[in-house]
Amino acid sequence: MRFGPLAIALLVTALSPAVQAQDAGLAADEQILLKQISTNKKAVYAANLGLTEEESAKFWPIYDEYEAKQKPLQDRFLANLNTFAEKYDTLSEDDAAAVLKEKMAIEKEGAALKQKYTAKIAKALPPKKALRYAQLETRVQNLVQRDVYSLIPLAR
Amino acid sequence: MKKILIAFAALAALGAAESTLAQGANTRDDTELLISQIQTDKRAIVLSTLQLTDAQVQAFTPIYDEYQREMKEVFTRGSQVIEKFAANYGSMTDDAAKDIMKDFFNVRSDRNALVEKYAKKLQKELPATKVLQWVQVENKLNALLDVEAAASVPISR
Repeated sequence: MRFGPLAIALLVTALSPAVQAQDAGLAADEQILLKQISTNKKAVYAANLGLTEEESAKFWPIYDEYEAKQKPLQDRFLANLNTFAEKYDTLSEDDAAAVLKEKMAIEKEGAALKQKYTAKIAKALPPKKALRYAQLETRVQNLVQRDVYSLIPLAR
Repeated sequence: MKKILIAFAALAALGAAESTLAQGANTRDDTELLISQIQTDKRAIVLSTLQLTDAQVQAFTPIYDEYQREMKEVFTRGSQVIEKFAANYGSMTDDAAKDIMKDFFNVRSDRNALVEKYAKKLQKELPATKVLQWVQVENKLNALLDVEAAASVPISR
């Protein structure tokens, strides 16, 4: 069973494309595409947050650190998805329990990470700009989740 | 159905439709009624999708209804965040923005925690494959609706 791994990787990558783009095993064209997604996402933030130079100097290092911290979670997400895909046709109850446990752990850690870094950004930026960032980040994550979940069939 | 589910998502995502912002917040009674209607619709979708046996339905529904009751409280708190966002939108202060972010994350966190809590409860009663299906359905519904809801929320100025 395949769920279009590149499509999923691309979508997941939207959360941390700069790091993901360096992954081995992807064709050159795909790496270019991933880099483009990364550039686009950063451009969206740059265009919409209206940061001053001083704010930018504070914001981007925190944001880049956040993206880097997301990478291991994205790797675990893809690994769990691959496990689910490989075992999909013969998924046992133990397999389902393990996939579910890992899925919920990743989601919990991802939410905590988002909250932690939004709090850091809120200390570095004026609260209204931090709120704007939180809204944009939530929109991006919503889009990615919708598209990723739409590609994954229900367990049977 | 779609409109109801989108409105549900607006609560779930803590978004506020522009029409809501224009009109001011819904009354508390309207919100409660809307949440109840949405939860009824959602229950039907979940039961239809999971295709449980009679015995599994007997085990699932009391736990699911308990989950819905707890989730209703989370959604009600979510609607209060929307009201706060709408009330402050035109003249958002830094303090209001801080409060809204804090409340937003608390409600989101509680929503995720509830799904996890009830997945664990369901695992004691149902095959893990069915529980995984339930979590997938919850996620798919929330994800679909969150996108539409968030897209209708203006970005803070």
